[in-house]
Amino acid sequence: MAGAGGGGNDIQWCFSQVKGAVDDDVAEADIISTVEFNHSGELLATGDKGGRVVIFQQEQENKIQSLSRGEYNVYSTFQSHEPEFDYLKSLEIEEKINKIRWLPQKNAAQFLLSTNDKTIKLWKISERDKRPEGYNLKEEDGRYRDPSTVTTLRVPVLRPMDLMVEASPRRIFANAHTYHINSISSNSDYETYLSADDLRINLWHLEITDRSFNIVDIKPANMEELTEVITAAEFHPNSCNTFVYSSSKGTIRLCDMRASALCDRHSKLFEEPEDPSNRSFFSEIISSISDVKFSHSGRYMMTRDYLSVKIWDLNMENRPVETYQVHEYLRSKLCSLYENDCIFDKFECCWNGSDSVVMTGSYNNFFRMFDRNTKRDITLEASRENNKPRTVLKPRKVCASGKRKKDEISVDSLDFNKKILHTAWHPKENIIAVATTNNLYIFQDKVN
Amino acid sequence: MEFRLEAHRIVSISLGKIYSARGQRGGLKLHKNLLVSLVLRSARRVYLGEPGGECALPPRPGPPPPPDCERLRRGCRPLASEAAARGRPECPAESPRKRSAAERDPAAGYPGKKPRREAEQPPPQEDMETGNVASLISIFGSGFSGLLGKERGAAEATEPGQVCCEQPVLRSLNPWSTAIVAF
Repeated sequence: MAGAGGGGNDIQWCFSQVKGAVDDDVAEADIISTVEFNHSGELLATGDKGGRVVIFQQEQENKIQSLSRGEYNVYSTFQSHEPEFDYLKSLEIEEKINKIRWLPQKNAAQFLLSTNDKTIKLWKISERDKRPEGYNLKEEDGRYRDPSTVTTLRVPVLRPMDLMVEASPRRIFANAHTYHINSISSNSDYETYLSADDLRINLWHLEITDRSFNIVDIKPANMEELTEVITAAEFHPNSCNTFVYSSSKGTIRLCDMRASALCDRHSKLFEEPEDPSNRSFFSEIISSISDVKFSHSGRYMMTRDYLSVKIWDLNMENRPVETYQVHEYLRSKLCSLYENDCIFDKFECCWNGSDSVVMTGSYNNFFRMFDRNTKRDITLEASRENNKPRTVLKPRKVCASGKRKKDEISVDSLDFNKKILHTAWHPKENIIAVATTNNLYIFQDKVN
Repeated sequence: MEFRLEAHRIVSISLGKIYSARGQRGGLKLHKNLLVSLVLRSARRVYLGEPGGECALPPRPGPPPPPDCERLRRGCRPLASEAAARGRPECPAESPRKRSAAERDPAAGYPGKKPRREAEQPPPQEDMETGNVASLISIFGSGFSGLLGKERGAAEATEPGQVCCEQPVLRSLNPWSTAIVAF
């Protein structure tokens, strides 16, 4: 069982909630494309293929009856991006939300960045729970009063009203990316953020929308010489001058913005030599990194490729310090997975708050956790069958070959249409959000 | 032999992916198409028995390791290339239009190949966008369905006529598949 950070006791994960339609028939617009907790963990945002953002808020615990941590309920829903048409290239621009990143909270309002393939938007989410009443010139419903009927003056007062949560777009950062945006990352300086597409990374100031700095450009002069693309990028959590980007070739480059304006030359290159015994037609595809995440401490970073999760120490470039196999039993199935396009699935990964456990998704609605201290791992399933609150999840096991034991599932029975690509871990507590195709599951550790 | 069969199958599947990618909503995905073109290139090498094709395969016990795998993985062509002959010091990326003399061997004298030969001529460098796509469509029109047809009989395909019909299509694939990537 995956261990809790800091303690020695094993966690038991329990079902808490599931959000989304029950239908087996999934509407394409409802497909969840990103999941992210804010910095306090009180808010949980999801983005979907239809361009919508749904934010859930954790209700503050009932101190008397704390059988579980607070539940997450819908706080705000808004349409972040709409489909657009690029007339010059005759291309439709999808409204799918690729990433959401919360900004650290500075005042009463919450801010998040959301992006589709081409445009990043800064959204302000604010609460309104009072409204002014007693205007002199207007009736309560907003109609203007006949001035001749105004015989006295009064001062409007603020009266409580039902809580209203408003989302408004404060900035729109457009027209800076020729290729599809895959990452955004807010900087620890609280002023800038980066956006990365297949070939370029741009640095923005949150206040300025009409220009950005290009800090990485790997586009070759002759596009026929293209051999690798940028797959993910992230700012270091503490050093505002440092960021990393991963490539389709399985390398990670760490760049220092103090070194030069255009960070085409990396400060560090992280790459593990290929194991020649594993070589196949698909070696290049499966080494492509789909996600890179710094640990909260900033000392480590984690990368996800098709079959494994690797932890890198920033001080050691030539190999990862830890490697965890997510679903090694798929290595012999790569040709079929290429055929049905599953080999191109981009799995994300995440750290727990204390950086002691990492989590990532797999197929058949399974997700995996690896405890870095105990070296134990666990496979769990996100399924409506375990639907009762506080039901402890049973560990799952895939039988790779040979005789299948009771309760094991064979590789050939796995449902490759049920994939968990997006997972998130509460920054402080043992609460996780796991997205299946169109449902969001929330699991918590068992509270005694 | 089985590697060639698998390579052939992978080439067909890859072509299908590149073809269907053109109609996708949201435009071509550069990352996915790049990966598909890399697989296509490896499979093509194995299928045509080109030097370095073995680099895509797991090492077999006994025979010496394949030459220049490292350079090939970095995208360089084998040393016996035109670029090396030109004396360029740095590793040249694979330039699909310039083929070594060995590759350009026209499988002349085989009948039934003629219609595809016209499509083979690479369009001029500057005329990238529309020229390549039109050629690609014509290739897919004949070559892809042709490949599919061949695939069913692949297990028994030993007639030189069948195999050679595919080869010019496969040889001409590279510029167009990378051209699709390069949009």
